[in-house]
Amino acid sequence: MSQASALDPFAVFGLARSLDLDDKTLEQRYLRLSRECHPDLHRAKDTADCIAVLQRSAEINDAWKVLRDPWQRARALVELLSPGALDRTKRLDPAFLADALELAEEVAMANGDAVPPLRTRIAAALEADFAAVRAELQHGAVDAAARRLHASHYHRKALQDLDAKS
Amino acid sequence: MSSPPTPTPLVVGIDLGTTNSLAAVRAGKGARVLRDRDGEPLIPSVVCFHPDGRTIVGREAKALRLSHPDRTVFSVKRLIGRSVRDLDAEVRSLPYRVVAGERDLPRVQIGDRALSPEAISALVLQEVKATAEQALGAPVQKAVVTVPAWFDDAQRQATKDAAALAGLECLRILNEPTAAALAYGIDGSKDGTALVYDLGGGTFDVSILRIDDGVFRVLSTAGDTHLGGDDFDNLLVDRILASFAKAGSSARPSDPYVLQAVRAAAESLKIRLSTEGSATLDLDLDLDSTDGGGRLSLTVTRAEFEAAIAPLVQRTLDCVQRAVKDAGLRIDQIDDVVLVGGSTRIPLVRERLEALVGRKPHTGVDPDLAVALGASIQADVLAGNDRSLLLLDVIPLSLGIETLGGAVQKLILRNSTIPTSRTEEFSTGVDGQTSVDLAIYQGERELARDCRQLGRFKLRGIPAMPAGLPRIAVTFLVDADGVLRVNARETRTGVEAGIQVVPSYGLSRDEVRQMMLDSIENAQADYLAREAIDVRNKAEAMVRGTQKALQMAELPPDQTYAVQKAVKALQKLLAANAEAAALKAGCDDLTKVTASIADDVISSAVTKALREEEQR
Repeated sequence: MSQASALDPFAVFGLARSLDLDDKTLEQRYLRLSRECHPDLHRAKDTADCIAVLQRSAEINDAWKVLRDPWQRARALVELLSPGALDRTKRLDPAFLADALELAEEVAMANGDAVPPLRTRIAAALEADFAAVRAELQHGAVDAAARRLHASHYHRKALQDLDAKS
Repeated sequence: MSSPPTPTPLVVGIDLGTTNSLAAVRAGKGARVLRDRDGEPLIPSVVCFHPDGRTIVGREAKALRLSHPDRTVFSVKRLIGRSVRDLDAEVRSLPYRVVAGERDLPRVQIGDRALSPEAISALVLQEVKATAEQALGAPVQKAVVTVPAWFDDAQRQATKDAAALAGLECLRILNEPTAAALAYGIDGSKDGTALVYDLGGGTFDVSILRIDDGVFRVLSTAGDTHLGGDDFDNLLVDRILASFAKAGSSARPSDPYVLQAVRAAAESLKIRLSTEGSATLDLDLDLDSTDGGGRLSLTVTRAEFEAAIAPLVQRTLDCVQRAVKDAGLRIDQIDDVVLVGGSTRIPLVRERLEALVGRKPHTGVDPDLAVALGASIQADVLAGNDRSLLLLDVIPLSLGIETLGGAVQKLILRNSTIPTSRTEEFSTGVDGQTSVDLAIYQGERELARDCRQLGRFKLRGIPAMPAGLPRIAVTFLVDADGVLRVNARETRTGVEAGIQVVPSYGLSRDEVRQMMLDSIENAQADYLAREAIDVRNKAEAMVRGTQKALQMAELPPDQTYAVQKAVKALQKLLAANAEAAALKAGCDDLTKVTASIADDVISSAVTKALREEEQR
């Protein structure tokens, strides 16, 4: 079982494929598209029409879900630029994994005063990840970007775990 | 081009409540509730099947609760769309009889008649419809009917059925807190983030909404299908019964007459305690005994009442915090707090919520009327009369399918905006296989046995091909009512696979609340259970893969021996149902042995075989 190739969310929104999208513009466009396509405002006359309206509306909601989150947006972009890139690049450098493990342990042990500086550190690592993904994509190094996205997963997980503790 | 449809103005909004029901209609820029001849908007959701043959609904029926406790049905919303097994504890506290019917669905037994909750709800809806028609002076055929946001698929479907039985076309099943938000932001001019806190007679819902220029977007929802004013009443009922017992009274709680009288007394006590510091109850049960044990005088202070209900109120606040977090917000980002439901009149509820959010709740709209008013606004939108408003709601519980070993793979996550869809690809495991079975689950837990099965789907008509070759794309689409639709297509041949849906009525329907609470409390246990399944699957695949690889690769005998030894060890662990950690260690040992072999023929063969295994 696997997820079938998803739609191009950028195309659904009529936007150029880009990692950096303006939040406000994106939201405005989502609201406009929803008004244009939601079944509530477009009660279809027959069943076939009804399904089409429903599907279009679902596409808009699903594309919005991907585009609004920078990491999901990045994953979608990488897959569009080079299908299968995320799957090809799953194997991470053992040295990185060792670091990730160490970070996870640090998060597990952290409490009190140790938490805020740790959070700042992980947030910085995530920012660096995103900047690296952007740079790799600018150089057309899609696989390298995909690898960095896999790595960022561990940083996001660490941040999540840290937040769950407080 | 056909001419535009004629606007149908008389689509009403109906709040079908646990305790009271009512209808409203859009009027100009606002909305108004539809009142009966006496000017009363609230119709008690009570039906009395009088011994003289009459069926009485509403206020008159409520008055008959005391004289005909076993023939007067209330709180039927608690039964709808559920199975008797789910209801066990609750049924015992009801003065009327609930029996198990077909497929373990509850039936209310009145004399020799067994009525479904849908049929009783339909009687309430008919009364609401008749009141609305009388107030409007015109027939009403279409309605938007509200349900708690946390109602699951079966409960929504049952509510729809009740509307149909009452002769109403249900244009939409609308979530109550969302409806209430519509009533507050009626002209859509007030942009911001609102928290709707809806504590009714039987259920609690909280929703976070974002309002932008007439678009009402639900960001998250959380709740408890079994928490409401009835539970506060029950605490007082217990208190009163304990006092009777202490006084050595012959009043028995198993007597429906006693229970009903005590319940009514508890409710009035609760209401008085919202405005008074203490309230005294003088109860005379008029028992057929001579000892006068039916008389009781009891004083309860507000402080005592508040101490009793505080844990329940805290549970609602936990839900509020979860909803805020799920919306991706901090609590200080909430601009408005909206109160809905009669139980929000309790001062402690308001105090605690205000302390948590740091904002005074809105009190502009009567909390008993807000839901119906909001429903009528959505009804007007669906009738095609108002194009300025748009409501974007979410699915309250995740949908997933059962995978190998009883785990649930979530396909559509809770709080996804609806409509939403997901296409997943499946294949066959056996040569010539022409059908595939899929089980759909709703809930947040990791394992199928802890979620609620919505139904089983059978994909038929798959062209006969070698195993793994067919590619069946299955699309799960959740429509604007929150109801799931499925379709499937074989992508190589383009053949549409037939789908047979077998709904899972009568199977265990864990309370949605329980599922949610469990998913938090048991997240760790679930994770471990899921991990154990995954490790087991992996170990089995490794054993099979390595055995295949051994046959393919020609290895020196000592290496063959080393590999076989590791395989045997792992097989032994599998046969002994070893723990995940031990299995993991066994897998690692096997990996080490195969990896250490200089000739990488075997490791590549293992990798290849493993990949084939995975694709099965």
